Amino acid sequence: MIRLENVTKVYKTSTRPALENVSVDVGKGEFVFVIGPSGSGKSTFLRLLLREEVPSKGKVYVSNYDVAKLPRRRVPRLRQTIGCVFQDFRLLTNKTVFENVAFALEVIGKPAHTIRKVVPEVLELVGLEGKSDRMPRELSGGEQQRVAIARAFVNRPLMLLADEPTGNLDPDTSQDIMLLLERINRTGTTVVMATHDQSIVDSMRRRVVELDFGRVIRDDARGVYGYDH
Amino acid sequence: MRASFVFSEVSTGLRRNVTMTVAMILTTAISLVMFGLGLMVVKAVDLTKDNYLDELEVAVFLTDEISKKDTDCTTDPCVSLKQDLELNPAVDTVVYRNQAEAYEVFKEAFKNEPTMLELASPQAIPASLQVRLKSPEQSGAIVKGFTERQGVSLIHDGGETVDRLVDSLRVLRNITFVGSLVLLLAALLLIANMIQISAYTRRTEVGIMRLVGATRWYTQLPFLLEAMVAGAIGAVLAIAGLLSMQVLLPSGFANQLENVVRFPGTFYTAFVISPILLLTAMLISSLVGYVTLRLYVRH
Repeated sequence: MIRLENVTKVYKTSTRPALENVSVDVGKGEFVFVIGPSGSGKSTFLRLLLREEVPSKGKVYVSNYDVAKLPRRRVPRLRQTIGCVFQDFRLLTNKTVFENVAFALEVIGKPAHTIRKVVPEVLELVGLEGKSDRMPRELSGGEQQRVAIARAFVNRPLMLLADEPTGNLDPDTSQDIMLLLERINRTGTTVVMATHDQSIVDSMRRRVVELDFGRVIRDDARGVYGYDH
Repeated sequence: MRASFVFSEVSTGLRRNVTMTVAMILTTAISLVMFGLGLMVVKAVDLTKDNYLDELEVAVFLTDEISKKDTDCTTDPCVSLKQDLELNPAVDTVVYRNQAEAYEVFKEAFKNEPTMLELASPQAIPASLQVRLKSPEQSGAIVKGFTERQGVSLIHDGGETVDRLVDSLRVLRNITFVGSLVLLLAALLLIANMIQISAYTRRTEVGIMRLVGATRWYTQLPFLLEAMVAGAIGAVLAIAGLLSMQVLLPSGFANQLENVVRFPGTFYTAFVISPILLLTAMLISSLVGYVTLRLYVRH
């Protein structure tokens, strides 16, 4: 599903590479935490998958796409197979919950009848049935993140990338969001989540890829946040 | 492509920056009015030229002596002048106009200006040989060949008058074109600015669009259409302005001008100038829009 082969990424403005010789292989349906301190390369890792960046060296494959070689006009096709969730939710404040989720389908040209059918389904999946006419500001942080997840998942992507999705939430709400991501993972969707949140990583016991100064220093199949050996 | 989605994006975009949009529309409109006036003057030059060239004559005015004595051009030097003119290959016809006839022509030409009529008397206006040329360009040769001849007081080359008139029209045309160009530049900058502001206020939307895999058409078409709609509104205003100028111009003024300069009618404005203005506005706004998006908005 995702394969990075000896990927190095150097930003023009920086002397130190953001990622250095990173090789990671993520299979279909896996749940992977990418952890590490700030500046360790987690975000760069996710951005490479989205083709927000291209690697300076090495290869990036996402499903069947050779991401770095993808012509610009085909990038949207790649991104339609990936859902994204962020720490700051990134909802459109002037649109309702329903409209926020529908927006993701509208802009890729899905017909109205599909939208009317699919959006309520996904809102039910994330536990927001009955809140489709609310505005984002009327929702709690956890609920807003559920809207964001619904939007990321509504087009049934092959994988879900989550960049610190619990970063703005309290522990209980974070736990709920993790349950939701787990449920999405059980539908066969690959989930890659970058996080700082030690307790979440420890409680989930999923694969952990740890980055430090742009290098992979650990890749455990059932890991915890800290070294426990 | 979902038309309703794009349409609603465009209309919110235009309303969001309403001051900017209005400024841009007005600048575009005024610039296009000037451009339209320029096009009208171009046409006026042609019409005026045709009008004059049709009846362009070289008038060989005769001396007072001949004017008084010879009322039907039967004695020399009038007869020989007339014969020589007729033999000239450039000449089509030659008609003798005596003082009485000349006075009638004068009265007709200045019938709206009684003061001029009071000042003039039949004796003050010289007799002339009215020479019609086969081709108007050859008037210079006639002037050269006959100015020094006996009995000739002055040769009036109609072509020169037309040339002077056409020259001043050209100056007018150039002024309107330069003016419209300067304003067009201002309009361009406003369009570019409008799109940048629009893109900035919608950066969250555009960011989400890119992430969920919207194609460039979806992310950028609303901005492009926004610029084009504003441009088109500007063009419509300019067309309305030009037409109402033509219709509302006091008819007395228009008639007065009509004796000198032929301006194209409203039909020409509506069916030739209007499409040009509309196309120019749409083309330029979409072009500027495209370039601005390329330069400032990441996809």
